[in-house]
Amino acid sequence: MDEQVRRFPKWTTFCVGGVVIGLALGLAVGWWLWPVQYTNTAPDVLRQDYRDDYMTMVATAYEIENDLQLARARLELLDPDVPSAPVTDLAERLIEAGGSAADIARLQRLAWALGALTPTVTPYLGDQP
Amino acid sequence: MSGLSRHYVVGVIGLAIGLALGLLYTWVIDPVELVNTYPALLRTDYRQDWVRLVALSYVANGDLEWARGRLQGLDQEDVATAVQAQIEEYAAGGRSADTLRSLATLAEAMGVHTPAMWVYLYPPTSSPPAAPIAPSRTPTSTPTPTSLPLASPEPTVPVPEPTPIPTPTPLGSSPLVTPTPAPMSTPPPPTPTPPLLARLHLAGQEQICEPGQRPHLEVVVTDERGRGVSGVEVWLMWSGGADRAVTGLKPQRGAGYADFNAEPGASYELGVGELGMPLVTDLQVRPCVQDEAEEPLVGSWRIVLGPRPLEGELEGESGS
Repeated sequence: MDEQVRRFPKWTTFCVGGVVIGLALGLAVGWWLWPVQYTNTAPDVLRQDYRDDYMTMVATAYEIENDLQLARARLELLDPDVPSAPVTDLAERLIEAGGSAADIARLQRLAWALGALTPTVTPYLGDQP
Repeated sequence: MSGLSRHYVVGVIGLAIGLALGLLYTWVIDPVELVNTYPALLRTDYRQDWVRLVALSYVANGDLEWARGRLQGLDQEDVATAVQAQIEEYAAGGRSADTLRSLATLAEAMGVHTPAMWVYLYPPTSSPPAAPIAPSRTPTSTPTPTSLPLASPEPTVPVPEPTPIPTPTPLGSSPLVTPTPAPMSTPPPPTPTPPLLARLHLAGQEQICEPGQRPHLEVVVTDERGRGVSGVEVWLMWSGGADRAVTGLKPQRGAGYADFNAEPGASYELGVGELGMPLVTDLQVRPCVQDEAEEPLVGSWRIVLGPRPLEGELEGESGS
């Protein structure tokens, strides 16, 4: 009995020590040395400037192709619930930053087609309501 | 096994368990999240859509440097595939020549080369770097492109029927005639060769009866040597409509190949180049001649369009 009691802590020490070292190694490998590689990402995780480019290009493509369904599908990749929200947001940011009037107009025409408008950007729509 | 080595085994097992738990946590439960990614990391279909969007934006703004910047870092093959597919889709859809020209310009800048691009990149006054058409055997005064019309999906003025011009037989073409060198001061006037498009005519027509195929019209445009000519705009016209195709978009079927779907009962006219110059009229898909036991089958047509021989060539052939 005395021998068992004497051995139990040593066995536990080795086991717990191994788990702790293994865990530390696993965290280091998984987060720093060999993290998950993302290669099949969607547009919603693009850097903000690329997201802005994406939205502007979707608005331009809509102007050329006049395919609202396709434009909506593309924007749903950024915001599945309110696809027009990122577009109006970008248009307002461009207005504040003094961005290209042509881009703002395109974005707003798309937002208008999607049924979303904000008072700030309405003047950029020209003849459209 | 001694007590110490048993302890080491337990330690190693603990290490393995810890490592597994660590990796489970970092790879599955709480992996690194990328939020500021870039287009090259997009899934293939999104990446190709990105390229299409860049191409359309280039059509709108004409800024090549801007487009290059947006395509930077993307795999060249992705760019080529997406731009090529877009050009072909737009050409088949009858988009405006300006749009197609812009796309072709971007494609060329990105190192993409397809036969369909030549139509839009090189106007009739110039020739592409590697034109697939054999040079004419008749001397010409100025380089004349034998195909590659400027694409125009809108109906335009019909091209007048060309009048073949007699051309001199090349010196030394017949071994029985001793060539007399012409005086240096009065060289024979060069005669312009009519372009290939203006000389095309129906060179062959064959019914295709293959079960399981939709009725269609295959068109093959060939040059003087019977080689397929790519980049030729072919029009299929019928009462109340028209469709356009460009030869060479299906390279596996040959450089001069293009095809159209056809409906039984409709009468079609076939033309090349600018709309309004039918070379084949009253073209209809018809049932194939079969045994009574076989299922009825509507055949397709294979139309071969080749150049009419020049008068000089005809005379040469009849004289030899």
